Amino acid sequence: MNRHEVAVTGLGVMAPHGDEHAALFQALLQGRSAIQPVFSELPKPAAAATLAFDETRWFTKLQLAGVDRVSQLAVAAADLALRDAGLAVVSDADPERVGIYAGCGMGGAAALEAAYRGNGRVSPLTIPAFMPNAPAAHVAMRQGVLGPVLTYSVACASSSVAIAEAAKAIQRGEVDVAIAGGSEALIVPGVVLAWQAMQTLATFQPGEAAGAVRPFASDRSGFALGEGAAFLVLESAERAARRGARSYATLAGWGLSSDATHLTKPDAPGQARALRQALRQAGLQPRDVGYCNAHGTATRIGDVVERNALAQVWGDDLGELRVSSTKALHGHMLGAAGAIEALITVLALHHRQLPPNAHCNEIDPACDLNLVTQDDTAAPALEAAMSNSFAFGGTNSVLLFRRA
Amino acid sequence: MSSLKELQDLIHEKYGIEPSKLDPHASMRETGGLDSLALAEFLFAIEDHFGITMPDEDASIDTLAELALLVDKVRTAKPA
Repeated sequence: MNRHEVAVTGLGVMAPHGDEHAALFQALLQGRSAIQPVFSELPKPAAAATLAFDETRWFTKLQLAGVDRVSQLAVAAADLALRDAGLAVVSDADPERVGIYAGCGMGGAAALEAAYRGNGRVSPLTIPAFMPNAPAAHVAMRQGVLGPVLTYSVACASSSVAIAEAAKAIQRGEVDVAIAGGSEALIVPGVVLAWQAMQTLATFQPGEAAGAVRPFASDRSGFALGEGAAFLVLESAERAARRGARSYATLAGWGLSSDATHLTKPDAPGQARALRQALRQAGLQPRDVGYCNAHGTATRIGDVVERNALAQVWGDDLGELRVSSTKALHGHMLGAAGAIEALITVLALHHRQLPPNAHCNEIDPACDLNLVTQDDTAAPALEAAMSNSFAFGGTNSVLLFRRA
Repeated sequence: MSSLKELQDLIHEKYGIEPSKLDPHASMRETGGLDSLALAEFLFAIEDHFGITMPDEDASIDTLAELALLVDKVRTAKPA
């Protein structure tokens, strides 16, 4: 079977750092954190990376009926990705051969929270607003997409898995264009309380929320939630070349594996299986990969397990692999995390610059990695880079990109 | 009593549709762009606005004038 090479030709993002991917990347290079205190009324201090969103850029008031923020952000980010790719990417395509592959961990959290807080008055549109596949459906309606419109709900790996599935569809020629990514918007008090109860969120002193998330650092204490959406436009390299499109990168390999050990505790052998699979598929050796955008949630156990997984696969070459977790700056966007981090990885490859691993003043000896520092972000010889996403539920997803 | 003006104001406030753009005797679905979901939400907003409970047969309502008549009826029947 003739397998197509998968080109990334469009990037769109609605991030806590803004809605321009170039500005997002600059902010990350400068180590600017978007994490700040939220919900001062909660018993325990909470911090998150939220974004200012002007929904009137994409919706009339009438169009907003029953559309949760999680779908609004998806519509906006997917639209930006298609504009970035050149709108002809879809308008010249057979709409039945365009697909949407969207990750979403939770769905419309604001709709559900409003239902609970309505003192018995519940909006009749709560269910269509809440359902986790609403974001993909709204993108499809907005763009007139008639092919597969699919949602992947795989916790923190949702949108990484979605991109891998989209790449498969492009590779096999099942669709000509894939709009792949994800969205999450669950910064509402009830959900923040639930995450606090899970004991995985970073603690911080008053005034220090911005630096609360410290991946791989000795004094790390967990992550902060983030909201947003990111989408990539994927098409075959042949099609991209034919229409003269700019290609940011090639999605050369992906690996999907399961730990099958524990619902929430990560597992190095499981992660290593996904890493090896991605390398094998891309036909690369570990030393060929110059950068890893780590899952790096800054939890006590998660960072060590990820380091050990990388060590199992990279062996003596581990020191050559430069690593950073950008969650320190944009928060953990859960169902959108895989997509925004894939987008950041693509930009790192495209610009040959690496976003630093922020807030790590003293690396945990158990997380011995070659972390990208703020004063050393250039990567002039970078040829391949990967993004790790490891989910609650034990699903691991690795996306491996090469320079176009 | 006619609730028409208040309904027009509510539609304007909620959906940004000018009263002049929505003929009270035209189908809200076909000419107003209020699909079944938007209408369901609008009925919910009407209940909140007037402090009333709309009867179930309102699904057959198609024009704003019909809706205003029904709202009038419910408001008149509402105990003081």
